[in-house]
Amino acid sequence: MAGLLKSEAGKGLALSAPASLYVGLLVAGPLGILVAYSFWTQTYVEIDKTLTWANYLEAATDPLVRHLVLRSIFIAGAVTAATVALAYPIAYFIAFRTNKKTLWLLLITIPFWSSYLLRVFSWKLILGFNGVMNSALLSLGVIDEPLTFLLYNEFAVVLTLAHAWAPFAILPIYVSLQKIDRSLLEAATDLGCSKLERFIRVTLPLTVPGIIAASLIIFIPTVGDYVTPSLVGGSQGKMIANLIQVQFGPANNWPLGATLSLVAMAAVGVVAILFVLLATALGRRIR
Amino acid sequence: MTDQNIIEISGVEKRFGTFVAVRDLNLELKEGEFFSLLGPSGCGKTTALRMIAGFQDHDAGSIRIAGQDMANIPANKRPANMVFQSYAIFPHLNVGDNVAFGLRKLGLGKVEMQNRVAEALEMVELGGLQSRKADELSGGQRQRVALARALVMRPKVLLLDEPLSALDKNLREAMQLEMRRLQQKLGITFVMVTHDQYEAMTMSDRIGVMFQGKLEQVDRPEVLYARPCNRRVASFIGGMNFLEARVRADNGASVEVDLQGFGPLTIDVNPNAISRSPDLLAGIRPEQLEISATRPEDYDASLQGIVSDIAFYGESVHYYVRAEGVEDPIAVAVPNYFHTVDYKRGDQVWLGVQNASVIDLGAREG
Repeated sequence: MAGLLKSEAGKGLALSAPASLYVGLLVAGPLGILVAYSFWTQTYVEIDKTLTWANYLEAATDPLVRHLVLRSIFIAGAVTAATVALAYPIAYFIAFRTNKKTLWLLLITIPFWSSYLLRVFSWKLILGFNGVMNSALLSLGVIDEPLTFLLYNEFAVVLTLAHAWAPFAILPIYVSLQKIDRSLLEAATDLGCSKLERFIRVTLPLTVPGIIAASLIIFIPTVGDYVTPSLVGGSQGKMIANLIQVQFGPANNWPLGATLSLVAMAAVGVVAILFVLLATALGRRIR
Repeated sequence: MTDQNIIEISGVEKRFGTFVAVRDLNLELKEGEFFSLLGPSGCGKTTALRMIAGFQDHDAGSIRIAGQDMANIPANKRPANMVFQSYAIFPHLNVGDNVAFGLRKLGLGKVEMQNRVAEALEMVELGGLQSRKADELSGGQRQRVALARALVMRPKVLLLDEPLSALDKNLREAMQLEMRRLQQKLGITFVMVTHDQYEAMTMSDRIGVMFQGKLEQVDRPEVLYARPCNRRVASFIGGMNFLEARVRADNGASVEVDLQGFGPLTIDVNPNAISRSPDLLAGIRPEQLEISATRPEDYDASLQGIVSDIAFYGESVHYYVRAEGVEDPIAVAVPNYFHTVDYKRGDQVWLGVQNASVIDLGAREG
C-alpha cells in the first residue's frame, strides 16, 4: 500500500478515488437502473421484468415524442445561440476594455445570489398579462390592451433561460479571450488587418474552444430542463422533460419514462458531438 | 546602403502620464541600413520602435517613412513590418498560413501566393515546412517563421523587437550572422531594438545608444567603441576603466593631462564628447592596458599595483589591479595564451598604457 502511494499513478488514483466513488455511485448507478427499467414493462402496479424493445418502439413511433424531442433541441439551440451571442460582447468587454475585471466578474455572478426558481417567477411577473411590462406599456400609451405573446410560449422560455445561463457563457468565453497573447493582435494589425478583420481572423478562431465550452454547458442541461417550461412555457412551450415527468408521475409508467430519458440523452449526445465537430471545422477554415 | 533617407524622425516625444518615455528623438536612417537601438530596459527604445510601427502615437514631432508623414497612417497601412519579441506566431495556423497571413489581404492569385510563401520560407531556410503546426516549432524555427512572415510582405522597413533574446547563446550567434547576411542580400532597412551590446555591434551599420528616453549617441560600432561620447555610453558598450584627468595644457586637437594613478599623458580630444572643462573623465579599455611583472618599457605611462581579483573568461583573463590613488580596481584583459601570463592574487604588477589608448570622455560630471 505504501509503495502504491509513492508512485505518481498511485497518488493520482488515491486523490481521485473519493470523487470517482461518488460519481460512480450517484451517476453510474442510477443510470444503470434507468437502462434496466427501459427494457421492462409496467403492468399497473407491478413491473414486468421480461426484456423487451417495446418502449423504444413506442418512443420511436409516437409523434408526440418526436415533436417534443425536436422542440426541446430547437429551444435549447435557440437558448444557446441567444446566450452565447449576448455573452460574447460582455466577455470581450471584460477581457479587453476594462481594468476592473474582478468587479465585473463579481457583478455577472449576482444572479446566482438569488434562487433560480425566484428568478423564473420574477420573469413571470415581468412578462405576465398584468405584469410589469404590460402595465408599463399600457400606462405609457404604447399599447391599448395587454400583449399576450410575452408569456407561456417558447419565447418566454428562451428569454428566461438566456438570462439564467448568462454567467455560464460569459466565464468560459472570457477565459479564452483573456488567454490570447496581445502581441498576436498587434501582429495581425502589423500584417495589414483592420480591427474587424483582426477579430474574424485571430480573436474568433482562438476563442472557438471557449464558445464550444459555453455552448455545451448551456445546451445539454437546457434540453432536459423541466422547471422553466412548466412555469413560463405554457402548452406550446412544453419540452421532453415535461413528458418524462408525466411518465414518472401521473401516468405511472416508469419504464417508458426511463426510455424517454435515454432517448433524450442520446439525442443531446448526437447533437452535441455534431456541434463540436462543426464548430471546430469552421474555426479551422478561418485563415 | 544608399544615400536616400528611408526614415526621418524629428523632435519626437512620448509621454505616459508624467513619465517621459522618449524625449526629443531625432534620427535619419538610410535606405538599406541595419540600424540598432541599444540601451538598458526601460530606456525608451521599444517605445521608439513601436512609434515607428504605429502601435503607439507620438505626442510631438514627426515620423516620416519613405518621405510620407506617418501622423495619420494607422499601423496596418504603414510600409513597415515587425518581428515581435515573442514572435507572435498564430497558434491556430500552420507555418504556411502564418507566412501567408498578410498576403491574403493583397488579392494575389493562389499560385503567386504559394510561390511567395515558398520563397520566403526558403529564404529563412525553412523550405517545405508549410504544413508544420505552430506548436511543433522550436524557438529558432519560430524566429525564422516570424522573419519570413514579415519579409514576405516586402516592407520598406523591417522592425525587430529584441528578435534574438529568446534564443540560447549558440543559436543566437548563428542567427546574428544569418540575419545580417539576409539583410545585405535583400537591401531592406532593418531597425532592431536590443539590450545586447555584442548583438548590436556584430549586426549593425550604425547603433543609437539610448538612456532614460534620450538618444545619447549614434555612430558606427567601431566609433562607438573607440570614441563614446560620455560615461554612460562608454560603460554600456564594452568594459571601461574610468579615471580622472586634470588638464595641464590644451593644444586644440590634443590635451596634456595628469591622469589619476598614471601621471602625465597627452590624449586626443574626442570630438564626440560634448562638454569641455578643466577636469576630464578619461577611459581606458581593459584590453588596451599592458600588464607585466616589471616596469614596462616603451609605454607612455605606467603604474604599480596589486592583483586583487582574477576572472577567467576562456578566451581571455581579466585581472583587477588595485593601485594607490585610484578608488576602483583597474581591469586588465589579457588574451588567454594558455598561461604564459599567469599572475596570482596579491602579486605586485605594473600596468602600462599608450597615449592613444586613453579616451577623452568629456566633463567629469557628464
